[in-house]
Amino acid sequence: MELLTGLGLSWRAISDHKLRSMLTTLGVVIGVAAVITFVTLGTSLQADVVNTLAGGDQNVVTVTAVSDTQAGIAGLGGGGTAVFTQHDVALLGRTPGVAAAVPQGGLAAAGVGYRNDTVGRQWITVTTPAYFEAQGRSFAAGRPFQEGRPEVVLNAQAATMFEENVTVGSNVTIVPGATQRPVNATVVGILRPTSAESGGTLLSAPDRPAIYAPTDPYYGRRVSSPATGSYQRVYPEVLVVATDTTNVESLKGRLQSRLAASSDAHLILPEGYHLSVATYQDRVSKLREISSTFTAYVVGIALISLVVGAIGIANIMLANVAERRREIGIMKAIGARNRDVVQLFLNEAVLLGLLGALLGTVVGVAGAFVGTELIKLPFVMDVVWLPVAIAVGVGVGVVAGLYPAWSAARTDPIEALRYE
Amino acid sequence: MTADPPSAEDEPPAVVSLVNVYKVYRRGEAVPALDGLSLSLPRGSYTAVMGPSGSGKSTLLNLVGCLDRPTAGRVEIDGRDATTLDEDALTAIRRETVGFVFQTFNLMPRLTAVENVALPMLFAGVPGPERRQRALDLLGSVGLADRVEHRPNELSGGQRQRVAIARALANEPALLLADEPTGNLDSETGSTIMALIGRLAEAGNTVLLVTHERDVAEHAERIVHLLDGTVDRIETVSRRRVDDVEEDVVGWNS
Repeated sequence: MELLTGLGLSWRAISDHKLRSMLTTLGVVIGVAAVITFVTLGTSLQADVVNTLAGGDQNVVTVTAVSDTQAGIAGLGGGGTAVFTQHDVALLGRTPGVAAAVPQGGLAAAGVGYRNDTVGRQWITVTTPAYFEAQGRSFAAGRPFQEGRPEVVLNAQAATMFEENVTVGSNVTIVPGATQRPVNATVVGILRPTSAESGGTLLSAPDRPAIYAPTDPYYGRRVSSPATGSYQRVYPEVLVVATDTTNVESLKGRLQSRLAASSDAHLILPEGYHLSVATYQDRVSKLREISSTFTAYVVGIALISLVVGAIGIANIMLANVAERRREIGIMKAIGARNRDVVQLFLNEAVLLGLLGALLGTVVGVAGAFVGTELIKLPFVMDVVWLPVAIAVGVGVGVVAGLYPAWSAARTDPIEALRYE
Repeated sequence: MTADPPSAEDEPPAVVSLVNVYKVYRRGEAVPALDGLSLSLPRGSYTAVMGPSGSGKSTLLNLVGCLDRPTAGRVEIDGRDATTLDEDALTAIRRETVGFVFQTFNLMPRLTAVENVALPMLFAGVPGPERRQRALDLLGSVGLADRVEHRPNELSGGQRQRVAIARALANEPALLLADEPTGNLDSETGSTIMALIGRLAEAGNTVLLVTHERDVAEHAERIVHLLDGTVDRIETVSRRRVDDVEEDVVGWNS
């Protein structure tokens, strides 16, 4: 039988039961829509994360101490235990191919005040003046802080988080803890927003303020350095800036061997932790790994939904076969071959699957678009989903339609013609 | 009495030839539905089959229509032995050699009149435009030229049966098989249908008519009486019934 005529006949059967056909395809619609929405959100999220990490830090190698059991994301701040002494920072800084080694720590302040307004619970990044250059940050106003002075640098969001806007030269009050005395600091610089910040994205939302302070006098954490025998400041993270981006991988190896040979860090490293040296590539692939785990999880759920969708189509096709038994008998009596009958019913199942997949694609793309708008991600749509959705629709239709079509072809015309 | 199998060389070859046919259904009682039946339908003949319920009319119809195979015996349709053919070959006979007309019309409800008539040609692989043209011609010849795009539920009983007759003729069958064609029609409409079938028989079609009504059977040249699964007697109709419907009345939209 001609394919087009056969499809036309099958389409008529579908369009004669519009509501039923719509409900039948719902499982496939939901499955395909779920995959497309969540995978697109995942892709968009990944693109956003990579964008955030990109920029000036492709030549930055992050050195941290991470737990053996926890899969932390190096380079996303926070985490890690403080093991890198000033000796280690200097050691890393002297490694060939290193432009600068910038220690980075953190200080959880109970609050930061400006004039009559105090904003509670602020994370203050404690680092050296070289940090800004290493991170590729530029100043909207002012300059970097200087070591040993009570100075701070704010990002644009932090500068505007108080009732009155902070300007260069203003004094802010840092409250380290509830029982500790507040310390005054002069704002010497305000950072220009990064492209990711100004776009406003999930990971660096525009409302997330950041305050940067010099280690001296704000960072008090010290340990006895085994290498030098003196008390030294100790940091959880060191940003190592390579002289150029092409030798980052070999630099990584040199850093690792230096740390193992003569750092304080590997001596004072607590049980269950190891030193991690992560390049830009390492950080990005770690994120991709997390993102693809998420994607695989969503695809798994969607597959279940597609199986449910296929069962739905198979179910309604079986009902159709029972309902149209007489028609099948007529067709066979007037000369329809078994394969003609199979073709007609398989067509119908495939059309239902395809219809569901196409509707699902529309719903999924719309859902992904709304989703990315809501959580302020860049909308990254992969066009490969359209042919994939079509293939899935056809596949689900074939799987769901085979048994009903076979049972239709098996219908005995004598019995079927007697059937009222 | 059992009819003799066709033997004479000079007779025209029979369209249908059943020789000593048995049909026993496995389910229920082991009473044979057909019990050594032999029957021959010469080309161009118009035969009616009559008999009480359970006499084997339906079984005979199913065998001649290649919807079923005999338990024993030979069934030859247009020179081919249906007992030895596989299912696809039987289907091919139904499609190309036999045209079915049913009591309940059995049109495809979702298809228009012209699509119903074109359906056997679709299965036979006739190309689209030719299919439609022939379907339109056939509908014209049964007087339904102005109803071609109507669905069965938009047609009267008589119109439906005429669509069914046009469909039965679609692939130019050697045999027209009519199973109680007037059973679901009022007598006046039934008359027009019988006049149409009579016209087709006169035009040279071989017709086998199954009915339990003598009035209807008398339209044929001969009446085969079945009893208990075998031919009881064959009666030649001396005065064939010709309904008092004019030829052009067939063109009515009854």
